[in-house]
Amino acid sequence: MINRILALLIRYKNISFGSFPRLLSIFYWPTVQILFWGYFTNFFMSNGSFGIWSALNIILSAVVLWDVLFRGQLGLTMSFFEELWSRNLPNLFITPLKDIEMVYGLILISLVRTLIGITPAVFFANYFFYFHLFELGLYLIFLFLNLIIFGWSIGFIVSGLVLRYGQAFEELAWAIIFIILPFSCVYYPLDSLPNIVQNIALFLPTVHIFETMRLILIENEIILHNVFIIIFLNLFYLILSILFFLKMICIARKRGLLFNQGE
Amino acid sequence: MPKTSIRTKNLSKTYDNQTVVSNVSINLPYGGIFGVLGKNGAGKTTFLAMLMGLITPSEGEIFIFDKSLKFHKYEILKNINFQSPYIDLPKKITVMQNLIFYARLYDVIDRKKKILKLSEDLFITDLLDNIYGTLSSGQKTRVNLCKALLNDPKLLLLDEPTASLDVSTSEFIRKYIKSFQKKNNSTILITSHNLEEIEKMCSHIIFLDKGKIKFDGKKNELFKQNKSSSLKDIFLKDDK
Repeated sequence: MINRILALLIRYKNISFGSFPRLLSIFYWPTVQILFWGYFTNFFMSNGSFGIWSALNIILSAVVLWDVLFRGQLGLTMSFFEELWSRNLPNLFITPLKDIEMVYGLILISLVRTLIGITPAVFFANYFFYFHLFELGLYLIFLFLNLIIFGWSIGFIVSGLVLRYGQAFEELAWAIIFIILPFSCVYYPLDSLPNIVQNIALFLPTVHIFETMRLILIENEIILHNVFIIIFLNLFYLILSILFFLKMICIARKRGLLFNQGE
Repeated sequence: MPKTSIRTKNLSKTYDNQTVVSNVSINLPYGGIFGVLGKNGAGKTTFLAMLMGLITPSEGEIFIFDKSLKFHKYEILKNINFQSPYIDLPKKITVMQNLIFYARLYDVIDRKKKILKLSEDLFITDLLDNIYGTLSSGQKTRVNLCKALLNDPKLLLLDEPTASLDVSTSEFIRKYIKSFQKKNNSTILITSHNLEEIEKMCSHIIFLDKGKIKFDGKKNELFKQNKSSSLKDIFLKDDK
């Protein structure tokens, strides 16, 4: 009996510790949770002047908008993974479908999936908590678009990595968003982070997006400079990620990986 | 009509210093059924995958219908199709949804009509509303063949088209492929471990061994050269 249990233990150890992404998934959750809730509590403890409804409105807006990013990324990667899981890639890539057309297709399905996924959440928040996301006005469209675009950028990077390095990297599809969550300043301002981390976080468009969201909700104003930074960073990352994804398809062709992917 | 269907010039594929296909040069005329034979690891599938642009060659050139695959890839791919029992269609959607999707990718005019016609021919009409993942392997093979014929390919590549099928389904598939070739004057390239199948269907044989061409010519020449009347004997003799 001991031998059989030991066999199972060794087998699961090999699976869990056999690749870096799987190993990462074991310890990132507790670390991310501590970081996130630590910064979150610090911010609200030091800003007691916020009314409960203002705080709730900011939190709910952040929750819904963060989910746009998550759905956007997941909608793209899951659609691509479906092709991998069903061992359909060779059939797909011997058609006249161009690689860039695949990129367009993935972007569009992600947009549709995100809109469908996010609508009930907005409805429930509105109905149960008298929360009005639409108070953000036309800026809501701007924030939505920029969050989903950043989701696509992450999605293309993850899809490219899975295509190139195999299914061990699938863990990243779920984990990567939560790795960047504490540094994205979704529920607290940038100055809640330590100085060194702030300098790195500034390279994330999400930081500027959520800073803008809070400014609109609290001060009812917008800083144009931030808008330009968001657009610039997002376009930069989107172009870079698409080029990366296309390069990974090219490498997959060279290494014969399109034939060997699947469950 | 193009002079050749497939022409390769010194085609090679190497992975991390391991050569899988080495210096393969062939010249197949337009129209006919050709067989690619070889033992496991001979490089058959890699060779086929390179012809479809799924694997980039390390060296050499590929010309399909007299055009360079490197420079006219998407134009060529409109006229190629492929079937393999090891490559699936998405399992969670219906057969019809799968076929409509591929008909769109190949810009098939009057998609539904085309699918219904092929479905009738391949006896899969009753399966069209079934979820693909629930089909048996025989049914999947016929559905995959239907997918492979959607664009009336001028070049059809078949990787073990009757693997794991019962005798009657295998015979049906073979007959259907033969009649399709005659009707459309297409070029069909088949790889199979079923030597009888290759013997029955192909007039021209390419024999790969460790990635190199061992024989490329008419079936009768192969028999003559080896003083044998069956491919099985030639294979077994080769093992000794």
